[in-house]
Amino acid sequence: MSFFRGALLVAGKDLRIESRSRVALQQILPFGGIVVVLFAFALDSDRDLLPRAAPGLFWAAVLLAMLLAVGRSFAVEEANRARDGLRLSGLDGGSVFLGKASAIAIELFALEAVLGIAVVVLYDVALHEALILVLTAVAATIGLAATGTVYGVLAGGLRARETLVPLLVLPAVTPVMLGATRAFEAALDRTPGDAWPWVQLLGAFAILVVAAGVAVFGPLLEES
Amino acid sequence: MSQNWGYVVAGYALTTGTLVAYAAWIKLRTRRLKRLLSDEGRD
Amino acid sequence: MKRIYLAATLVALAVTAFLALYVTPPRENQGFQAVRLLYLHVPCAWLAYLAFGVTALASILWLIPRTRNTTWDLLAGASAEIGVVFTALMLAVGSLWGKPTWGTWWEWDARLTTTAILFFLYLGYLALRRTGATSAERGTRCAIAALIAACDIPIVHFSVTWWQTLHQQGTVFNPNLDVKVNGSMALTLVLSVLAFTMLYGYLLIDRFQLAQLEEGREERELQLAIAERVRAEEVVPA
Repeated sequence: MSFFRGALLVAGKDLRIESRSRVALQQILPFGGIVVVLFAFALDSDRDLLPRAAPGLFWAAVLLAMLLAVGRSFAVEEANRARDGLRLSGLDGGSVFLGKASAIAIELFALEAVLGIAVVVLYDVALHEALILVLTAVAATIGLAATGTVYGVLAGGLRARETLVPLLVLPAVTPVMLGATRAFEAALDRTPGDAWPWVQLLGAFAILVVAAGVAVFGPLLEES
Repeated sequence: MSQNWGYVVAGYALTTGTLVAYAAWIKLRTRRLKRLLSDEGRD
Repeated sequence: MKRIYLAATLVALAVTAFLALYVTPPRENQGFQAVRLLYLHVPCAWLAYLAFGVTALASILWLIPRTRNTTWDLLAGASAEIGVVFTALMLAVGSLWGKPTWGTWWEWDARLTTTAILFFLYLGYLALRRTGATSAERGTRCAIAALIAACDIPIVHFSVTWWQTLHQQGTVFNPNLDVKVNGSMALTLVLSVLAFTMLYGYLLIDRFQLAQLEEGREERELQLAIAERVRAEEVVPA
């Protein structure tokens, strides 16, 4: 089976599980929504502060939701010895990585769209420079999904997995948090020139993590 | 304190204290383990 | 042999402290006496790099099948723990230096931020190490986690040149390699780095030996408990 067909297979499996269990839709998305609301409480719904902090708050909410999405993606592999199934399937480790990371990325895109609308409405944000916003989101999301997938399989099968993965993932995705927030700020400030270096950083990060993930997923899956 | 000696004292005390405590902690655990392992051997 | 090494280390540290606290002059434009904290802060930073570098190297050696050996896994773990201690000290002493010099305990500039991230990356690594009692169980996942974390080390180092921010440019390892510190301060700085490096070596050996003793202990204790239970069953048959 070709490399990308394998990835498509795994992504399809994960998305099909999601469409039947609807965990992302019914649990992770509302969680993201609550976080957006909670941030407003934290900042005392200050009319000036919320729109200015919106980029950072949006990406913080996405990061937290990503942790849940990654946790869920690997929780489905715990039941019914599914991990053994993956190992014995003969699929290339890199294929499985691309598949799982893609499924997580697709879920995150949908999440970001909905949370984005929530942030625009609740924090009174004026949108500008849609192209930059979209490119930033694409690069950032790929980086997030890939990093989460690497650590998800790294901690696979461990009893402390649920608390360990967030601790491992968050420091590693700080470049994404930084780059995405700055890029969004530049876009909303209507200074798109400032955003491009950050978009490039996000792109480079995404490429690096995807490459690393393809390389290490197989060996890590064997170990788990 | 004049000229910020307070910060200096705090820094040197913290560093010395931390490193001494850490070294002592390693030694303590090592001694405890060696005793435990020699007990196991005797059984 | 080890006693002599320890004595030499302690002497070096004592001489460093003497030079740092009495001999070298204060700096008028940099928080006066607070500059003496640099003789602690700089070696801590260097040692953090060194310790995490050793962890990275040992992790690579574990990952290569031909060189895979429990020694490398244990060495990686021991060095990382020491590195975390020195990173924490670096941040704390740096903070104590920063308050009188910059007027603030903390700044979100490039070097401080990336160093804080380094600290958390290796805290996560240490947490990961506790999930397996033997090298065979935890070796590969820990090695990969260590190598990912090690990516931050060059970022921390070059952060002051890539982003011109609050933290000063390297006084020794700066891009022009033009050493700006001189006289007794330079000597004390070099001596402090040497003394701390000797201390690192001493701590590493001790910590490594402890790791060797701990290796597989959980499993052995389980086997012992089972053996005892079996014996008890034999004496009093059901």
